Amino acid sequence: MMLRWSIVLLACCALPWSALAATEIEISAPGEQSIPLALTEFLPDKGPQSAQVSAEIYEVLVADLDLSGLFRFIAPEAFLDDAGRIGLSATQVNFPQWRLLGTETLIKGTYSLDGDKLVVEARLFDIINRRMLTGRRYVGETKDIRRMAHAFADLVLKELTGEEGPFSSRIAYISNQSGHKELWLMDVDGKRPIRLTDHRSIVLNPDFSPRGKEILFTSYRANNPDLYRKEIYSGQEAKLSYKAGLNVAGRMAPNEREIALTLSKDGNPEIYLIDTGGRIRKRITDSWGIDSDPSWSPDGSRLAFISNRQGNPYVFIADVFSGKVERLTNRGKYDATPAWSPKGDRIAFSRQDGGRFDLYTIKTDGSDERRLTFGPGNSEHPRWSPDGRFIVYSSDQGGKRAIYVMRADGTGSRRLTTQQSDSQHPAWSPRW
Amino acid sequence: MSVAPLHQGNAFHNDPKFGRLLLLSVIVHAMIWAAFSIGWFGSSTRPKPPVYYVDLMQKPVLNPQAGRPEPRPVSKPKPEPAKNPPSTVTPSVPVEPAKPVVKPPPKPAEVVIPKPEPKPVAKPIPKPAAKPVAKPVVEQPQEKKVKNAIDEIRERQGREAAREELKNKLAKLRDSAGAAATVPADVPIGMPDGQGNEVGVSALAFVQAFIQQNWILSPYLLDQSRLANIEAKATLTYTASGKLIRFRINTPSGNQQFDDSLKRAITKSDQLPQPLPQDLELVVTFNLKEIAAARR
Repeated sequence: MMLRWSIVLLACCALPWSALAATEIEISAPGEQSIPLALTEFLPDKGPQSAQVSAEIYEVLVADLDLSGLFRFIAPEAFLDDAGRIGLSATQVNFPQWRLLGTETLIKGTYSLDGDKLVVEARLFDIINRRMLTGRRYVGETKDIRRMAHAFADLVLKELTGEEGPFSSRIAYISNQSGHKELWLMDVDGKRPIRLTDHRSIVLNPDFSPRGKEILFTSYRANNPDLYRKEIYSGQEAKLSYKAGLNVAGRMAPNEREIALTLSKDGNPEIYLIDTGGRIRKRITDSWGIDSDPSWSPDGSRLAFISNRQGNPYVFIADVFSGKVERLTNRGKYDATPAWSPKGDRIAFSRQDGGRFDLYTIKTDGSDERRLTFGPGNSEHPRWSPDGRFIVYSSDQGGKRAIYVMRADGTGSRRLTTQQSDSQHPAWSPRW
Repeated sequence: MSVAPLHQGNAFHNDPKFGRLLLLSVIVHAMIWAAFSIGWFGSSTRPKPPVYYVDLMQKPVLNPQAGRPEPRPVSKPKPEPAKNPPSTVTPSVPVEPAKPVVKPPPKPAEVVIPKPEPKPVAKPIPKPAAKPVAKPVVEQPQEKKVKNAIDEIRERQGREAAREELKNKLAKLRDSAGAAATVPADVPIGMPDGQGNEVGVSALAFVQAFIQQNWILSPYLLDQSRLANIEAKATLTYTASGKLIRFRINTPSGNQQFDDSLKRAITKSDQLPQPLPQDLELVVTFNLKEIAAARR
């Protein structure tokens, strides 16, 4: 009796398992790797129509979103009548019409002009789920058009990726446009350049403070490479380190209490930490070789730098607290200008191999070295965007040196500055 | 009152059937364990069907016959004759006007030309140039000019020939690759591993291809170091008419962007373009193994 019950029980256990087993399939890659995006021209809501406002917003959004590498733009020629309608709420958008075009996302917007006052409304829609993903109302003046568009591009990236874009930040660089190498500041797309210094000497190697309020740079104004700090908004400027010899490559620590820099006061260039008053706090390196170009890890515990202590110049990492130094790179002939990524996982640097400089990144444990540029010309001075998605650098591929930007995987390179003058040493600000 | 259960327990242990029951229990448990360990219940160990590029215009069937899941290849054997005009690049060569006349064997002709020619040129020219260095002052520049011109022409010819040879090799490779990849045109519609007798493509492969076509995800949305490991599983239920009646993300990936893209893909796949042979419930594993492998 008991045996029979046991068999029945066993059968009951087994049957549902086999009956319920659904067929399994695996999809190991998406059918398409870029998100279809329909970007409509912004329409006038109130006030006069301005083709310039509409065109400028469109131009900025296309440039920013294209650089992100996330999107495939739907050709505007294919747009149907909903593109010409002002309605910005989810109930007013004709989703089936947009879905017909194969898009998954849609950007619509309006602007209102009242004299110099400008109000821009922008929305991002999810076509598949028929809902608005995000939207903003920007109020300002007509001179703020580009800032508004950059801000919305940042927002689009935040909504779709979970992390804000860097398009509202700025890029500092050195240009001889005025006849001397001076410090300049421009938007991430190379527009609105302004000159920050008038030293009429040689200015080089700028870097932003972590909060973006100050820029450190070296200037030969007093006939010695001294380190300066400059407040961006007030324009106030002060000499920070002016010891004999080199006072170069100043990089402010993430806590903004210390500055790592290269000093050669004792003859041999070494890495030191100074406080914000310019007093030496600590000597980081002590070797017969040349140690230069420090770059902080995001947590402020380590410094990547260049040293030729083991022969050719390679990237090394120093622990700030223990002073322990480890070599990171060991290929090529000449490594230079390391830059620690804001996420802390990789270090970008330039390397001379085969007669020209190209850009590379490497994991902080020395593995997974990747070459990002393959000429033409020399690519140097890589610096990360605050979100780690992009790298700005200088290149002489067109003859004179200009500032370029590309995605962190080396794709999507584009020139930001004109080639009428020499531009180099870019530095990407924190989020503005 | 508190003694009774103790007494009952003792009585149970003293029951002569207890030993048999215990033995039976052990046997049943052992059988269940054995069934699990040999994969009798294990749907998870069932191999996933291979990925085929399926023509979504074909009818999905349960037991497809052996054949080809894609449409018949467009036959393109004729564009080859168009390779003849390589001579358009060498109009400045006055030496060889007769050769283009020989149309059919353009490939070997051009490959052979550069090889024998440079040799006689290289030998005779340096000899006279080396010996009468001082005497024929007037002849040198002319000879040099002629020699340089001939050298240039031949170099150009050599380059063109090499380029042409490469082109031909590539074309041959393409042709052979195409021939290997495409089954002869008379192969019927079916699946490469089909063992049934129905004309059409596997219903599973059909659904797989349709959902994949609708899945859009930019790798830039994700942390690049996670590409190889990210994975989510969803259960989808389709009716025989091809309508998705319910879906559930069983195992989310933990990444919102990834999971959102799956939901969008499934929502877009709510109606299959063709009816299915029967209701279908399937567990779909989404991952990015192909992309991760390509980036390695």
